[in-house]
Amino acid sequence: MLKLIQVEFLKLRRRKFIWLMLLAALFMPLAAVFYFANIKGTGVEPIEFYKWTAFSYTPWIILPVVLGMLCTMLMYNENQYDILKQLWIVPVNKVAYFFSKFVVVLTYSICFMLIIAAASILTGVLPGYITFDSASTLYLLRKCMEISLLTAFAVLPVLAVAAVQKGYILPVCLTLVYTFLGFILLMVNMYLHPLSSMTAIVMRDIPGVVITQPLNIPGAFLCIGVWSVASVMLAGAVLKKRK
Amino acid sequence: MKLLLWAERWKLRRSKILWIAGFATVMVALIVFAQGQFMFYGSRYIDKAGWFMTATQSLATFYVLPAVIALLGSYMICREEQEDTLKSLRLIPVDEMKLTLAKMALTLVFSVLIYLLLFVITFLIEAVLHLEALPISLVLENLKTYFLDGAGVFFAISPIIALVSRMKKGYWLALVFAEIYSFAGLFASMSNTLKTVYPMTAVFNLSGYYHASVIQTLIGVIVLLTCIVLSLFILKGLNKTAK
Repeated sequence: MLKLIQVEFLKLRRRKFIWLMLLAALFMPLAAVFYFANIKGTGVEPIEFYKWTAFSYTPWIILPVVLGMLCTMLMYNENQYDILKQLWIVPVNKVAYFFSKFVVVLTYSICFMLIIAAASILTGVLPGYITFDSASTLYLLRKCMEISLLTAFAVLPVLAVAAVQKGYILPVCLTLVYTFLGFILLMVNMYLHPLSSMTAIVMRDIPGVVITQPLNIPGAFLCIGVWSVASVMLAGAVLKKRK
Repeated sequence: MKLLLWAERWKLRRSKILWIAGFATVMVALIVFAQGQFMFYGSRYIDKAGWFMTATQSLATFYVLPAVIALLGSYMICREEQEDTLKSLRLIPVDEMKLTLAKMALTLVFSVLIYLLLFVITFLIEAVLHLEALPISLVLENLKTYFLDGAGVFFAISPIIALVSRMKKGYWLALVFAEIYSFAGLFASMSNTLKTVYPMTAVFNLSGYYHASVIQTLIGVIVLLTCIVLSLFILKGLNKTAK
C-alpha cells in the first residue's frame, strides 16, 4: 500500500497543472484584502479576518471544486492512456488503488489549506489589518486541518464516480452540481450532504456564527461516514467487476 | 461555414455531453427549489411569485452554468486534438480558425438553449405552484433576462474558450478559470464600479437582473464586445501556431 501511495505521488511529478491549481488557494485571501480595504479598514479581529479568508467560501465552494477536479484528473489520466490494464496485470489490488488515489487527494487538501492559512496570515499582517498572535494563529491552523481532512472525505463520492466511468465530463459536472447542492443545503438541512455536514462540524465553535438549525455533530459525522462508505463500496464493486 | 456548423452538430450526436449539461441544468433548478423551502418570516421563499425564476438564474450564473458552458466549448475544441482527428481535418484541408469559429458559434447556441431550458423548468414549476399570481409581464421579463444571460455568459467566457483552443490540452484550465471567474462576480457585485466593468456582472446589467442605468448597460455592452474582440484576437493567431 505504501508503495502504491509513493507511486501515485511520483506520477504527479510532471503534472504542472495540479501545482498550478494550488494558486486557487490565494483567491479568498486576496478577495479579503480588497473587502477590508474598501469596507472595514484596519484593526480587525483576527478571527473575523480568517472567517473571510479561510472559513467561508473556501470550504463551501473553492476547496470542493478544486478537489473534485483533482479526483477527476487522477482517475481520467490512467483511463486515457490505457494504463489501467497494465496495472491490473501487475496485479494491483483495486481497492488499494482507489485508496492510494484518496491519499493523494487528502494530502493535496492539507497542502491547499496550509497555503490558505499562510496566505491568510500574510495578507492580514503585512497590510496591518490584524495583529499577529499565537492563539488566533493556532486556532486558524486547527480549523484549516479540520476543513482539509473533512473535505477530503466529503469529496469521496466524486472520486468514486470518477473511478467507475471513463470520461471526465460527468465527474466534472457532478463536482459543480455536488458543491452547489452542498452550499444550498446549508440553509435547508445540513445533515443530508457531506459538504454541508462538514460545514456544520467546522462551524461549531467559530465565534459569531449563527446556525439556524440545531447543531448535531454525531449526525454530521454519520452523514459523512455513510456517504464515504457507500462511495468506497460503489468504487470497489465496479472496479472489481471491470475486466 | 454552414458545412462546418452542420458537421459540428453531427459530431455531438453520439456524445453524452449535451445530456450531462442538461442534467446539470435540471439539477440546478431542483437544488434552488430545495432552497425555496427555507422559511423566512413565516413564509417560504418559493411561495412568492417570481422568486424561483429570479433566484435560479442568478445562482446558476454565479456557481454552475458558466463552467458547464466553458466545458462544452472547450470539449468540442479539445476533442479534435485528443481523439487525433485534427490531423485528418488539416489534410482535407479545413481552416482551423473557421473550424474553431463554428465551434464557438455552436457553443453560443447551446449557451442560450441551456438558459432557455432553465427558464422553461422554472416557469413550469412557478406555473404549477401559483399560476394566477404570475403576471405575463413578469414571465416575459424573465424570458428576456434568461435569453440575454445565455448570450452574455457566452460572450463573457469566450476569451477562456479561445485561450483553450490555443493551448489544445488545457480544458482543465478552462474549467477552473470559468468557475473562479463566475464566482468572483459575487465579490465584484459588492462594488458599484466593479459591477459595471466586470464581464460576469455586466451580463446582469445587460439582462436587466440588476437595476442598471443606461450608461452602465452601455458600458456592459462595450465590456462584452471587448471580450468577443479579445477572443477573436486570440483565435487569429491560431493558424500560425498550427504545426
